[in-house]
Amino acid sequence: MTPVLHLYVASQKTFLRDRMALFWTLAFPVLFILLFGVIFSGSGQDPVAVGVVRPGGAAGAPDPVLAALGSIPALEVRAGTRDDLMERLDAGDLRVVVNAPPTLAADVAGGREAEVEVIFDPTSAAARQIAVPVIGAALRELDGVIRRRPALITTRFTTVTADRLRTIDFLVPGILAMALMQLGLFGTAAPLVQLRERQVLRRLGATPLPRSALLLSQLLHRLTIALAQVVIIVAVGRLVFGVEIGDRVGLLAVFCVLGALTFVSLGYLIAALSRTEESVFGITSVLNFPMMFLSGIFFPLETMPDWIRPVVQAIPLTYLGDALRQTMVGAPPVHALGLDALVLGIWLAAAAALSVRLFRWE
Amino acid sequence: MRGSVQAIRAVELRKRYGDILAVDGVSIAVEPGEILGLLGPNGAGKTTTVEMIEGLRQPDAGTVHVLGHDLRTDLPAVRQRIGVQLQTTALFPRLTVREVLELFRTFYAGDTASSGELIELLGLAEKAGSLTRTLSGGQAQRLSVALALVNRPELVFMDEPTTGLDPQARRALWDTIRGVRRRGATILLTTHYMEEAEELCDRVAIMDGGRVIAAGPPARLVDRHFRETAIEVPAGGDELHGVPGVERVQREGCGMTLYSSDTGATLGALTGMAADGRADIDGLHVRRPTLEDVFLRLTGRHIRD
Repeated sequence: MTPVLHLYVASQKTFLRDRMALFWTLAFPVLFILLFGVIFSGSGQDPVAVGVVRPGGAAGAPDPVLAALGSIPALEVRAGTRDDLMERLDAGDLRVVVNAPPTLAADVAGGREAEVEVIFDPTSAAARQIAVPVIGAALRELDGVIRRRPALITTRFTTVTADRLRTIDFLVPGILAMALMQLGLFGTAAPLVQLRERQVLRRLGATPLPRSALLLSQLLHRLTIALAQVVIIVAVGRLVFGVEIGDRVGLLAVFCVLGALTFVSLGYLIAALSRTEESVFGITSVLNFPMMFLSGIFFPLETMPDWIRPVVQAIPLTYLGDALRQTMVGAPPVHALGLDALVLGIWLAAAAALSVRLFRWE
Repeated sequence: MRGSVQAIRAVELRKRYGDILAVDGVSIAVEPGEILGLLGPNGAGKTTTVEMIEGLRQPDAGTVHVLGHDLRTDLPAVRQRIGVQLQTTALFPRLTVREVLELFRTFYAGDTASSGELIELLGLAEKAGSLTRTLSGGQAQRLSVALALVNRPELVFMDEPTTGLDPQARRALWDTIRGVRRRGATILLTTHYMEEAEELCDRVAIMDGGRVIAAGPPARLVDRHFRETAIEVPAGGDELHGVPGVERVQREGCGMTLYSSDTGATLGALTGMAADGRADIDGLHVRRPTLEDVFLRLTGRHIRD
């Protein structure tokens, strides 16, 4: 056992002294979380900016349209002249401009028709789906109020912050899955091929050290790094973005270990198939990108075209991402956890068996 | 009685890679306490031969006994007792010299040399705490020798141990290697420096094309193949054919090497030709033939071609 322990310590020291390795395995996933967190935080939650035309600008007598729209929480209403508001609509500061004639109240009260112009940018989903229908409803209600024929149905807007998962809650487990995958691809395959190319394996082969001792020490070393990744990513998610870990910590740990083992085995397999350090880099890069983008760790699987589904269904990262999401933040399952574990287990067994057969020590 | 057991007894080793017969019936015997040099150009089969004796490679045919053990059955026991130096410059680039030595000590079961002792022996004291990636070529080479001595081996394999060293460092390492032998170890070293073989080795085996083409103590090998003196004429040409006493001539770049069985007659004739303006003997150099000349005669090539 002593040589295993010493090789393990040597690997840890080597890793801690390698700034590039530290960056890619530990800092890079954190940067990913911070970046995505900033991009997605609060998106879709701001009120829609709506401008209401008043001939005199913001000042002046109370305006019934302004009052009606101003009471709706989903809208942020500003008043201004038509030219001023249209300019801001063009600039993207406003999504909708509502232009009612100044004589609206008097006209309606006198039984005359009045036209309200609603100008909006149809490419804005917030304007199309939220603001325009809400404004229409508010104007119809206003019609009744002015004509003193109160509608029997009135609308009362109440806001509640829904207890649903935010984008960042989906992303943090996905990035954890990505980090475990990249530990296997970049953190395992390339260093192993380097050991072979630089004749370290050959030199160790001339000592009484059993090969199993070398493999075991490497495996323990990688699992330690995986543990560090999990702790760091979970901590950043929680401290910076308030991503709460549910009560299934045990299952989460099981899937982290299973995922790390699966991708480390894949790393060994890639090392077995690669002749040179250049080819190992090529193979890992070619695998890395499809895995990242077709596994649903960043993009919802529903947006993928049908023909690519079989690929999605085959990728181990799909199942690791799904399992980590379920066990970490309680996301709704894409697959049953048992199926996730089964598919990862099959990949693990196949990669381990193949790499034992194919790995060349020199 | 270990003293009577040959350190290495390899018989009729063969190894084929695809169409290439890398080693074609090589037999090598090394007595305890001996330094045997395996000489030859790249591709001669030296490395493959040594790897089969070290147990790193399986021969297609032939048998190897190391320190009395048959490699096919006793490889683990052999690995406890041999040391192997390879030209691996950066074994663990981010470990210090001392850490790598300490790590290797944990691989062996028996008595091992302390890292301090090895650092002292190889003159690495000032680099003991430095990462091995910061070592110069010569320092890395000395570390690789130190790693071969960790288990106080009875038999040490060295793969071109002084490649890349400057002459002074090379001489220092030769002294170290002699010191290792004085402590009772047997050494098999491969080299393509003829001078190294002549300085260090009790016997040499010259390999070419997967075979041993000559073997014996360096001086006797030279004597066996040359009774002549080598006379180098840096600016010589075809006019030097037929000079009295010359047995053979060998083109050397833009000059000639004359092998003369009558040095006096040859030099007299050359001086006469130079006086008449028929030859240019500037830089003329008379020397005893070396292993290099032996290799040239046996193969028609220089060893480093």
